[in-house]
Amino acid sequence: MQKIMIIEDDQFIRDELALLLENEGYLAVPVTDYTDVIKQIRVHKPDLVLLDLGLPGRDGLALCAQIRKSSTLPVIIVTSRDSSADEFRGLSLGSDDYITKPYDVPVLLARLKAVLRRSAGVPETDTIEAHGLTLSLTKGTVSLDGCTMELTRNELKILAHLMTHAGEIVSRADLIDVLWENQIYIDDNTLSVNITRLRTKLSGLGMPECIRTRRGMGYQL
Amino acid sequence: MTIREFLSDRLGKMILQLCAATAAVVFLLATGTSPGVIIILLLFFLLICMVTQISDYLSCRIRLSELYAIMQGLDRKYLFTECAPPPRTVYEQKLFALMRTSGRAMITAVSDAQASVRDYRDYIESWVHEVKTPITAARLACRRMHHEDRRKFLAELARIEAHVERALYYARAESPEQDCIIRQASLSDIVSQAIGTHRTLLLQNGMKIQTGNLDFTVYTDTKWAVFILGQLLQNAARYHRLPSCRTQAPPIIKSFTIKRMHTYNQPVHSVQRQRGKYIAQIKDSKSLRRNPPAITLCAHPLGRQVQLAVSDNGIGIPAHELPRVFDRGFTGSNGRLRGGSTGMGLYLCRKLADALEIDMHISSKEQKGTVVTLIFPAKQ
Repeated sequence: MQKIMIIEDDQFIRDELALLLENEGYLAVPVTDYTDVIKQIRVHKPDLVLLDLGLPGRDGLALCAQIRKSSTLPVIIVTSRDSSADEFRGLSLGSDDYITKPYDVPVLLARLKAVLRRSAGVPETDTIEAHGLTLSLTKGTVSLDGCTMELTRNELKILAHLMTHAGEIVSRADLIDVLWENQIYIDDNTLSVNITRLRTKLSGLGMPECIRTRRGMGYQL
Repeated sequence: MTIREFLSDRLGKMILQLCAATAAVVFLLATGTSPGVIIILLLFFLLICMVTQISDYLSCRIRLSELYAIMQGLDRKYLFTECAPPPRTVYEQKLFALMRTSGRAMITAVSDAQASVRDYRDYIESWVHEVKTPITAARLACRRMHHEDRRKFLAELARIEAHVERALYYARAESPEQDCIIRQASLSDIVSQAIGTHRTLLLQNGMKIQTGNLDFTVYTDTKWAVFILGQLLQNAARYHRLPSCRTQAPPIIKSFTIKRMHTYNQPVHSVQRQRGKYIAQIKDSKSLRRNPPAITLCAHPLGRQVQLAVSDNGIGIPAHELPRVFDRGFTGSNGRLRGGSTGMGLYLCRKLADALEIDMHISSKEQKGTVVTLIFPAKQ
């Protein structure tokens, strides 16, 4: 399990973040004493530090530089200071990412994951498997028992989201949200068209009833 | 100072001198001085007078032109008395001292005002940063809410954020050099960040987003450009053509109400026009189903610049209001009709765009749509 240290002075946010990260399968280490952060890092050996810049009586940027001096531990700065000048300073002091408050929770998690992956040198997971289907993200194909079907970009993103949430009901609004996050600005009608096409392709692979419509709730794989 | 001005200034004195000379001539004649001597004395007197007047005139001119030059070269005109050379005559020195006292009072007032503007700006900025903490907390907390509630809650949070952002950029626009860094930036990045920020609002209004070729590199501050573009997207989402739930039918005006409203000095024709617009909107709604509200973003190169056009098919802006849309606090008939308009969005856009050297143009046709073009500096 990967350890994430949370350096944040707002107690509510700290607790919520810890809860969020624990739900996502990380081990959260909240810091409440900012005087000897370096020592605490040495003790806990986290895989990543989430650092808020506005700490009481402590300059967050200096702390970031201090962490960077002693280790290559990935640091993500999370702050409400959002000007380009601030961001430039943060990144030039060696932080791995700079996220401004208020952040979207899914965006925060995605960027966190990306930084962890980069620092571990693990290549991005290329395939997703669910219900016997194998989805290849780099090739843009879905296969079942040796048969392969090519997908369009939209279909790929939709299927990927459904497969990572296999068994759960995914609402249409959530699907549109996910697509918009990936710079695919589709509307309700286009989503229906894409789902229909996806179903045709999946039935070509021999799984006609793969994506079920749950009336009034969304889709379910 | 012209000669005429100088003479009119000295006229009284000269007449007095002439009177004195005439009196002297009469006195000398009476005491029996020979006329030849008197003429010589008179000529001598007039010569002295003329020479002093001319030298006075010249020195006045030189001094004035020197002062004018100093004034011309001054960046802040109210610092004039601090820079002008002190005068020679006692009378002028007294005047100068008075001017200087008044000038000093003015300088103090100006610098006090500047300091309080700066303080206020700093306060707004730190206030915005403070308020972002509870917004973040609310965003984190609403994860556990029920699906539909969460969506509504996030939409309201997004509205708060949009207002907070505007306050922040209003404060920043006063001294742009403090926070903006002009760097190479990807236009498609700017566009996708702006759309991402206002995703909730755009989706809520059922906006269709179409993007053309955006693969360009421009020189700008990404954050500011995202803010400007965000204002345009918000406007497009707010002023689309479907009669939204907030738009209410203006009252049907009967003849007697027309008379009454007229006496209350109400612009009747504007209410009638609004009603007409509303009916037109309902008639339009059928065609709108085939032609949903949409925003199109596309860019093309323009020499050493890149032009980004943001066009929508919304209600448009009346031609006579177009020249004023960038004015501070101008809401226009659309803003009044739909409500919730602050008249700050486009004003801030223009201000920030000027600081970033982005050319901004707007064109619009009522009931057809609006096109805003942003011309970014870029390398060819």
